[in-house]
This record gives sequence, structure tokens and C-alpha cells, in this order.
Amino acid sequence: MKVPRWSFITFFLILAIAVIGPMSLSKGPQETVAKPFAPPVWSGGDAPPPFSGNLSPNSKEMNIEWDWDAPENLTLRGQLTFDHDVVARLVWTTPEGSKYTLSSFHGSGVWSIDLDARDMTFKTVLGIPPFASATSLLFPSRGLHALSLEGPSPSEGSMELVLPGGRWGLLGTDQRGRDVLSLFIVGIRVSLLVGISATFIASLLGLSIGLASGYLGGVADSLIMRIVDVLLSIPILPILMVLVGIWGKGLWQLVLILGLFSWMGTARTVRSLALSLRESCYVENLRSIGAGSWYILYRHLLPEAMPIVLAAVSLGVPGAILAEAGLSFLGLSDPRIISWGRMLHEAHGFGAFTAGAWWLIIPPGLGISIICLVFLDMGRSIEEMADPRLRGGGQG
Amino acid sequence: MWSYWSRRALGAVAVLLLVIAANFFLFRVMPGDAVSTIVDPRFSPEAKERLRELFGLDLPLYRQFLIYVRRMLTFDLGISFLSQRPVWEELKSRIPNTVALLGSALFLSSALGIWLGVKAARRRGGLTEKLVLVSGSVSFSFPSFFVQLVLLLFFAYTFPVFPLRGSVSIPLPEGAFARALDYLWHLLLPVGSLVLLGFGSWAIYVRNLMVKTLGEDFILLARARGLPEGRILWNHAFRSALPPVLTIFLLALPGIVSGAVITETVFSLHGVGKYLLDSIMGHDYPAAGAAFYILGLLTIVSNLAADAAYALADPRIRVGRRAQR
Repeated sequence: MKVPRWSFITFFLILAIAVIGPMSLSKGPQETVAKPFAPPVWSGGDAPPPFSGNLSPNSKEMNIEWDWDAPENLTLRGQLTFDHDVVARLVWTTPEGSKYTLSSFHGSGVWSIDLDARDMTFKTVLGIPPFASATSLLFPSRGLHALSLEGPSPSEGSMELVLPGGRWGLLGTDQRGRDVLSLFIVGIRVSLLVGISATFIASLLGLSIGLASGYLGGVADSLIMRIVDVLLSIPILPILMVLVGIWGKGLWQLVLILGLFSWMGTARTVRSLALSLRESCYVENLRSIGAGSWYILYRHLLPEAMPIVLAAVSLGVPGAILAEAGLSFLGLSDPRIISWGRMLHEAHGFGAFTAGAWWLIIPPGLGISIICLVFLDMGRSIEEMADPRLRGGGQG
Repeated sequence: MWSYWSRRALGAVAVLLLVIAANFFLFRVMPGDAVSTIVDPRFSPEAKERLRELFGLDLPLYRQFLIYVRRMLTFDLGISFLSQRPVWEELKSRIPNTVALLGSALFLSSALGIWLGVKAARRRGGLTEKLVLVSGSVSFSFPSFFVQLVLLLFFAYTFPVFPLRGSVSIPLPEGAFARALDYLWHLLLPVGSLVLLGFGSWAIYVRNLMVKTLGEDFILLARARGLPEGRILWNHAFRSALPPVLTIFLLALPGIVSGAVITETVFSLHGVGKYLLDSIMGHDYPAAGAAFYILGLLTIVSNLAADAAYALADPRIRVGRRAQR
């Protein structure tokens, strides 16, 4: 069996990620997960990675190998259940061997804990002044730290220790501390949605205008072609900017506007096809046996034009995706909708450069480029299927 | 020849009118009464009526349009909502920057693209040809602002050899020469990025044209006559491929103007495109309309210039027969 072209495989992969990806995220993409501009885990240099660990009935002790400066914060959350009267304590051990009691529990039942190292009560428990940093007391030097539960074993429950790192995830965080990987995955949807639906509208318009222009001929044809010429000779982006500025920044306004201003290329191609078919013998024969214009257009010219339109859709999608990304990059998109262009806009506008945050720029940019390359290649292969003359030789 | 020029001029006027009409109607369909944006809602109805008269809003629409066309043609572009100054005053200092950016980027990318394209066509399968094919597909699918952001990150942050933003340093350096140097220094990265993005499509197109032309009989004849290779390449082959290249130039122009808007935003240049964006963001409609008009005008003027070059390059027009394009 022939292996399908790489672009088709990649396209279905991207489609799958766009559909499944956002569902598989454990947290919403808008949530703050780490400090702003945290670099990716695999890059970050001096900043500590995030750490989290659990205490449970089976593991009452946890060792933390800490090779960095004291973390910015420490949180401890969870519940432990004791069946009978106990005295239990959570003890922190530093590399030097000094011990601190973080919290203690007397009695029976549920021990629920919600500790934050910035809390005043926590600092009082540790016996330090309210403006001192609790984490620098708990992390006096680099080395092996330990958190242990002293006392009898609880019957059930668990407790989670979280140390927010200076690094985060596969792709770091943005200026609001959001996970860039989640934003990236969610952003695929907008690019695909806008790109495909805008091109669909544009192709429908182009198809009908092109068929009408080519088949009718005469004044209508020259009028339509003049309009196409004029529209092709004004810069489209400023028009789109003005329209978006007036009509609003919603997703569907954007799709409509993009669709209304990118039908010209398809119309030209379809028109030249319709023009040549109109003069062909079989259409003349059809007319001679009394077929109406609608019948000829619908049953004969439309199927002939379909492959061209399909290729035009695929070749047109990159244009629409780039236009959407460009407008979003300029800030002319709904700020609540995450898209790759929006990510680049925020990177540019909110100081990714002063933070040197390349992880905010490379992923969305490469994503746009790859989607565009995929659609271009699909368009070319559809063109080749429709027109075997293009097959093999490549350009030239 | 005259029919060619009259057609071109008619086309230019049509585009100009369309731009003006688009401006006129677009900013009238926006929500809200034109008067309500500049007067206090507590004004009495008589005062509002008086203001409408003052601004000519009581006239029939076609009269308003005619007045609007006249004002546009005389560059009386209205007063900015934001700065309360005439828009033309604000735009005047920005136009040279945009023209410098567009002009130098266009010239350099077309020169580089044509040179590489001709080279690639002469040596099929060589290194240059591979470079041309790759750079062509890159320029088709990489978003311009992405490439520019990466360049900016690399050359202004990682290796700070170029400025991060702006058209000139603040404060301005002393002396005319130092100022010119400073201006060029700020312009280098934007123009460089546009050239990098633009030359690929030129090179591919020129290569395809030249491959076709080099296969024709008159080239074989020139070879048979023993003409030097450079002369065959440039004086014979490229000369006859020039008109279609200029056609592509015409078709590429609107896209290049669009690209300038984005480039000016990325590099925070003091240009018309950035002004357009800022006015749209600030709902400053007179300013946005004027910036849009100026961009359209720039396109039309460069279109006409390309038409003139086309007329010079194509002997069928120069000598006076009907153009076949």
C-alpha cells in the first residue's frame, strides 16, 4: 500500500492533539501554576525545579535532596485520619540535623492541614519574626532535607508537600505564571478553526463568483474581474485591522472578515476554468439539447471545478492562519481566547524580551509555521491528484 | 502607449476612490452618532443640532462624501480624538520612516532575490538552487512577526548589538552624521528581517522564469554566436524575463505594505503602520482612517511606479502597440 504523504499524517496528528489535548489537561490553561517567566524544566540553569511529595500511612518519611537556594515558598496540604487518641507531629530536619516541628496534633479523628510558609501563624509556630522568611530557616544550606511524621501511623489520608520551583513543565510559564504547554495545546484549536472556516467561506464565495463570472461573461465578468483587480491591489491587513477595530474582536467576526477578503484568488482560478469550459464542445452540446444554465453550472461545471477548489482551500488555509495570527499578534483579538498569535502578542507586549523568555516565542511561532507548511503540502498534493501534469517533476 | 497609461491611471483612480469610500463608509457604520463622540451628552438638543450643522452632518450623504473626497485629496485629514492635534501633523513625520523601511526592504530583497534566482537557474541542482527552494518555502509559511521576534530576541537581547525598539535613540546623538548613523542602526534589523523573509519568493519566481527562458531557441542562437555567458544570462535571458518579474512586483506590493504594519509594531518604529494600530486600539477613528488612507496612497503610488517601469521594460508598450498582459 502506498504510504500517505507526510503532510496528511501530520495533519491528522495535529487534529488529534487539538481535539484530545485540551481534555487531557489536568488544570485549566488560564490557571497560574508557577512564578512568572519560569523557564522550562530541562533548560533553566540555576533556578530550582518544582518539587512535590506525599506523606501517607505507608510512607511516613520523605527525603528532599535540595541543591539550590531556598525556594520561594513551601505549602503542605492534606488530611490524615487517626482511629484512636494520638499525639502526632510533623518534623522537618535540615542537613545540619536541626529539627523544627511544623505542626502537631492531639486527639483522634481527622487532622487536616493547610500550611503556607508565608502565613503569619506558621512563622509564630516556628518562632521567627513576622517579616523573616520561613523557607530560609527551613533550607539553611544545600543537601538532604527530610520531612517526617512522628507518632503512630494514621489509618488513612495523605499530605502533599509542594515547593514551587523557578522552572516549570516542558515549556515554562508566561508572564502570568500560566503553563505555556497548556496554552500551546489549547491554541491549536483557534488556528485550525479560524483557518479552515474562513477559507471555507472564502472558497464558497470564490467558487460562486468565479463560476458566475466565467460562465456569464460579458459585462458581469469584466465588472467582477475589475473588482478583483482592485481588491488585490490594496493592502488587506490594514483593512482587516480597521474592520476588526470597528466590528469587534470576536472569533466569528474575525472568521467572517477573513472570509470576505480572501476569495479573490479562488475566483480567478475558477473563472478561467469556467471560461474555457463554456467554449468547450460538450457544454455546447448540452446547450443544444436544451440544458439550462443552472443545470450546466450545477451538474457539469461545479464537479469540474471541485478539485481546484479543494486545492484552493488547502492552499488558502495558511493565508488565513497567518492573517489570524497577525491580527492576534497586533492585539486585535479577543483577549479571553487563547491563540498562538495572542501568545506572541503577550510575549511581545509583556516583557518576554527583558526576561529573555524564548520559550514564549519559539513554540507558538513554530506551531504556526508547521501548520502552514502542512497545509501547503496538502494543497500541492491535492493539486497533483487533480492535475497529473504537475506530478513528479516538481517546479520548473 | 496612451491606452496603456490611461488604463493604468484609471485603475489607480478607481483604487483611490475605493479606499476613500471605504474610509468614509466604514467609519460611519461604527456604532454611535458622530457628534456624540465629541460633545457632552448633557448638551441641549439645539446645541447638538447646531454642532451637526457646523460639521456638515445635516447635508445629504453624497454632499458629505464629496466634501470628504476633497478634504482627503488636500490632506485635510481631521483632528485626532486622542491628541487633539491635526492628524496630518502627526502623520507627516511618520511617512518618511515608512517609505524608508518599505523602499529599502523592497529594493534589497528584490536585488538579492533576482541575483540568486538567476544564479540558481544557471546551475541547476547546485547549492544555490537548493538554498533558493528552501528559502522560498520558508518565506511562504513562516509568519513574519515570528521570524522578527526571534531575530529581535537574538540580536537585541542575547547579543545586544541592535536596539530593542524605536526609530531613533533617545536622546538624539549630536551632529547630522551621528544622527544618520543612529537612524540606519535602528533600521538595519527591521529591513534585514524583511529582506530575509522576502528574497525567497523573488528568487524562486525568477529562477522558474529563467529556467523557462534559458530553454528557448534565441538563447541557443546566442550561444551559437559565441556570446559571453554573462551577456547571454543578463542581456538576453533576464531582459526578456523582466516584464513578468515586474508583474509579480505589482502583485506583491499590497502584501509588503501589510508586512510593514507588522514590522513597525514588532520593532516599535515611528511609522504609519504603528500609528494605524495605535489609533485603532485607542478608538481614534479620524487618525485610523487617515493612516489607512496614507497606506493606500503609498500602495497606489508604488503601483504606478511599477507600471512605469513595466512600460519601460516591455517594448510592446514602449513602442506603442497595445499591451498584452
